[in-house]
Amino acid sequence: MFVQEFIAAVVPLYLVATALYLYRALKGPTIPDHVLGVDLLSYNLAVLFIVLGIFFKEPILIVTAIPLALWIYALDIYVAKYLERRVMGA
Amino acid sequence: MIEELLVYTGLGLIALGAFAQLVSGIGVNRFRNFYLRLHAATIGSIWGCVYPIAGAGLVALGYKELGPYSTFMAGAAFVTSFLVLILSPAGSHALARAAHKTRQALVEPCVHDALDPSMCVRGGGS
Repeated sequence: MFVQEFIAAVVPLYLVATALYLYRALKGPTIPDHVLGVDLLSYNLAVLFIVLGIFFKEPILIVTAIPLALWIYALDIYVAKYLERRVMGA
Repeated sequence: MIEELLVYTGLGLIALGAFAQLVSGIGVNRFRNFYLRLHAATIGSIWGCVYPIAGAGLVALGYKELGPYSTFMAGAAFVTSFLVLILSPAGSHALARAAHKTRQALVEPCVHDALDPSMCVRGGGS
């Protein structure tokens, strides 16, 4: 099956998108812009983990994407809570 | 027969997700204001993350060369895509609310801001 060749052709597109997000994450004028850039970088990384997990036939790579997805949400909530109340929720 | 069908739909979703990530990457850099960039961000996180991961789950189901772990990988991929589907809107909404309440980003191309009219920069460009 041509799955390996297809994924090898698609992964560079994800890397281009990662470069675009990295630019926004570094440049973003306001704090929420930085957080937004980091969010999108992490979502892109989660997709890369799973697609490469299939490419390399390595199941452990897919397991790493679940805590990463949870951490993205935690980052949003911590930054939002800190911005509003100047205190980091426990 | 069903394996090919699963693999082809999964690969199609992964390719569409790659296109969505590019669209979101360009949108995040071209939009002027934080609230506009949220539109591009949700493209990157729903169409660009939930669909490709679900597609990867389909590929894992149909791709027999993955060995005994293929169903395990498919289940983990579907769980991840469901998690991102639920958590991504909540996270970006919390971020947008904090940004608006603490005046981090003014609403630049704005017609009317019901929450806080002083935040509305009237006539901020087209």
